Amino acid sequence: MFVMDITDIPLFSMLRGRLGYLSERQKVIAQNVANSDTPGYTPSDLKPYSFEAQMKAQSQSAGMMVTTQPGHMLPPSQRGKSALGSSFKAQRKPDSETTLDGNSVVLEEEMMKMSDARMNFDAAVGFYQKSLNLLRMASRAPGR
Amino acid sequence: MAEISSMGRQAQAIATSALRAQQARMRVIAENIANANSTSKTAGGDPYRRQIPVFEPAKVDGAQGVRMSKVEPDQKPFKTAYEPGNPSADAQGYVKLPNVDSLVEALDMKEAQRAYEANLNVIETARAMDGRVLDLLKK
Repeated sequence: MFVMDITDIPLFSMLRGRLGYLSERQKVIAQNVANSDTPGYTPSDLKPYSFEAQMKAQSQSAGMMVTTQPGHMLPPSQRGKSALGSSFKAQRKPDSETTLDGNSVVLEEEMMKMSDARMNFDAAVGFYQKSLNLLRMASRAPGR
Repeated sequence: MAEISSMGRQAQAIATSALRAQQARMRVIAENIANANSTSKTAGGDPYRRQIPVFEPAKVDGAQGVRMSKVEPDQKPFKTAYEPGNPSADAQGYVKLPNVDSLVEALDMKEAQRAYEANLNVIETARAMDGRVLDLLKK
């Protein structure tokens, strides 16, 4: 029996990836803010998330084997990517100023990044909600 | 099914470790300010030496938080004042005063406060983001 998972719908899996990326980014920013007074600390950030790259991954996976039953195993190249946010890599990225003790965290810039992540997160959740409503509307009996 | 875990948990754990570290830093600053005029008990002895909090990254909940690793004494020379009548004065009548600069302490305090607020902000945002997702269940 083939069980349809909501993440099998490309739109949902893409939004899920986006949400994973944004919460991972929030975590990285939390680390930077926490270490805003640690000598010699360089803040990090995630690579910008692009829908093109995500689309590419989607279209590539079209011709690949998929797990249709819980007992199926993923090919090695895909292993580890299924966990939320684990495929995003943080890289060191100093802010605009470096203090004398070698710390290059600028709180204001981190706050900006954080509200950016939050706004995008809210947008993605909104999209998710709307898409769910679409599904709900489609599954309802007509005229009700 | 995909595993669901609270996304904001790690961010909150990190920010909490920072709140604790800033709190500890505040305590050290309070100590410095309180002892800004503490001279030695013995004549000609060393007065209170300013303490400096040092932070270092620390593992918290699988992510990188922060903690106060040590408190180091400030090696800046002491100030001296000529007060022959003071019980802490040496044979020449000079008293050694602590190397605490209250202006520096005040600035340090402001910085600690700002960092504390920033971390509170992080917790609030992480909570709001989690709440937003939970709201999906409502409708």
